[in-house]
Amino acid sequence: MSEENNSLDPRIQRLDLPQGESTVKPNEYWGTFEVFLQEKRGKHHQHVGSLHAPDQDMALIFAKEQYGRRGRCVNMWVVKTTDIVAFQLEDEDMFATTPDKTHREAGIYKVRDRIQEYQERQKNA
Amino acid sequence: MYGGGYIHQEESTKKQPEAVVEDPAKLAEFQARIDRGEKIEPHDWMPTMYRKQLIRMIEQHAHSEIIGSLPEGTWITRAPNFKRKMALIAKVQDEIGHGHLLYTACETLGKPREQMINDLLSGKSKYSNVFNYPAVTWADVTVIGFLIDAAAIVNQLANSKGSYGPYCRALERICAEEAFHLKQGHDAFVFLATGTQQQRDMLQAAVNRWYKPIIHFFGPSDKESVHSEQLMRWKVKMASNDDMRNQFFDMYVPKVREVGIDFPDPNLKKDPETGKWSFSDPDWDEFYEVIKGNGPCNAERLAVRKWAEETGLWVRQALATPYTKTTVPLA
Amino acid sequence: MQSLKDFLYTIADDNLILGHRNSEWTGLGPVLEEDIAFSSMAQDKVGLAYQLYQLLHTDMGEGHPDKVAFNRTETQFKCCHLVEYPIGEYDFSLVRHFLFDHAAFARFDMLTKSAYPALAQLSVKVRGELKYHVLHADTWMKKLGKGTEESKARMQTALNEAFPLAMGIFEPVDMEQELIQHGYFEGEAVLKERWLASIAPVIEAAGLKLPEIVHDKTSYGGRKGYHTEYLAPLLKEMTEVFSIDPEAEW
Repeated sequence: MSEENNSLDPRIQRLDLPQGESTVKPNEYWGTFEVFLQEKRGKHHQHVGSLHAPDQDMALIFAKEQYGRRGRCVNMWVVKTTDIVAFQLEDEDMFATTPDKTHREAGIYKVRDRIQEYQERQKNA
Repeated sequence: MYGGGYIHQEESTKKQPEAVVEDPAKLAEFQARIDRGEKIEPHDWMPTMYRKQLIRMIEQHAHSEIIGSLPEGTWITRAPNFKRKMALIAKVQDEIGHGHLLYTACETLGKPREQMINDLLSGKSKYSNVFNYPAVTWADVTVIGFLIDAAAIVNQLANSKGSYGPYCRALERICAEEAFHLKQGHDAFVFLATGTQQQRDMLQAAVNRWYKPIIHFFGPSDKESVHSEQLMRWKVKMASNDDMRNQFFDMYVPKVREVGIDFPDPNLKKDPETGKWSFSDPDWDEFYEVIKGNGPCNAERLAVRKWAEETGLWVRQALATPYTKTTVPLA
Repeated sequence: MQSLKDFLYTIADDNLILGHRNSEWTGLGPVLEEDIAFSSMAQDKVGLAYQLYQLLHTDMGEGHPDKVAFNRTETQFKCCHLVEYPIGEYDFSLVRHFLFDHAAFARFDMLTKSAYPALAQLSVKVRGELKYHVLHADTWMKKLGKGTEESKARMQTALNEAFPLAMGIFEPVDMEQELIQHGYFEGEAVLKERWLASIAPVIEAAGLKLPEIVHDKTSYGGRKGYHTEYLAPLLKEMTEVFSIDPEAEW
């Protein structure tokens, strides 16, 4: 940095800019929180991202403007990242057969044919 | 939105990019997942080079947003009416927001935000060169808001189709906000272009100043690079620098010319046969000089960032809790 | 009605100037998350000023908001001294935001019942927005008041500096009685009592001390066009581009 502050930005001209090295320390931006946003009443809260905050109160205040400053939002949750429990990604195969379990699906229960056959039989009896 | 196609490599990694030998079975599985169009998520196995390159790229993108807020910030207190004042504050704010989203995405790869900031402040990690040029007049803000954002959008839209889940999610959100940036930039640009002679002159002068940095923005030609090919297979890099630059010219040269403004380069022409734009030599030596830290504003940009970190220290300290451990954001 | 015009100008000018000041922090805040939050609130203030100038323009025949904001002389501004001060460090900016936004919340809460319907309508919307500003300010006050020795000392010092200036928020316009009679506004004296009642518990919870008010009119004058030395340079800066050609469209 040159000795003089010749910035074209009047805001910057007013600052006393540092000359030397500058570092931040580990964890200086605290821990992380996960943010969940509800677009409108009746909808689920959905995960929209993360942020750094020292505690829940601050996390909520930060969440509103970082994740809720555009679009619809009626409510938000913040949860400490470390409080979230998830499956291991390599265990994805646990879920792989779920779509095969058709006994849970409405689509496989088709009795219309059977009813028609029954009605035919009754008519002819 | 400010990634830029050019990803700076530190000297040490340039020499031996493939130093780590990966498990071929895992590598094949990883590649197959990408080829199937599936995303990679933070806790997946990934090649060391994939992780390194993504960190480098996302981090540079994040730094570019944070530093990129400064040239436009130059005019934040001087925007000439309510509409421009509100838009400019909101836009500069969005850039900080984008930087935030990108730092978060990058943290999922294992590099804490504090370390990224330190690498920015020490000059170890880079940001887009384009932000080391001054915004001399109000017209410069309109050129940045329109053309630099447009250039960045070309790059970011491509990257949002990449393979790393958190980066794609961040980019999707960023791209949605960019629609506003580009519109407001174009609006301000057109108002000057269709305004008084004095306004038009201001604008043309600003376009002249930014022409070279815009060409530099996409980086030197990288078609021949082996490194590039690997990154494209991994969907880290989605298009070559030349292709993105060409796409930019295709889309935006007409929009500049339709209001009677032009880029200061008689050789800027499209070959109707090949569809390729040619342009005068943009002085790549200058490009490398600016990366090295010798651009017109490098020193000021970093000094301002240091000021912000140093001045904010007491605030962060006051909120610190002694038992804070480093946590990695989820996704 | 001149008193109503004056009244709207005071609120609009306060918000424009403080929004302008607070926007100086955009990109320079103490942590990215807060940078974003503080910038949003600055935008809210500038936006609110615009809406008030718009009321003046459409309902009372005053100039277009851009002309009013960017083309008046220093003495035509009716803002209070508190909003004119430079941003200082984050302690001063936060304390000013705390003091000002509590007053703004109390004011717009009051104005939801104004007999001037357009203003009452606007106030309902603004009140919701200001709820967040107040929550933000209160949370910060408490955290920093109870943070480190340094943060406590800084916050108390900033409070000592800003509190007397905040009295200027409540300098009434000429003929305020008229506003009260018409049911447009309950008056600055009532507002100030409500404000004190709302800030005192927060200051206490923050472990800070409310400074005593010796002369509560020392920071008066803003409503009559008498300003600190900080306003003129602010306006010069704000209108730099506009002034290149005030007739041009930017």
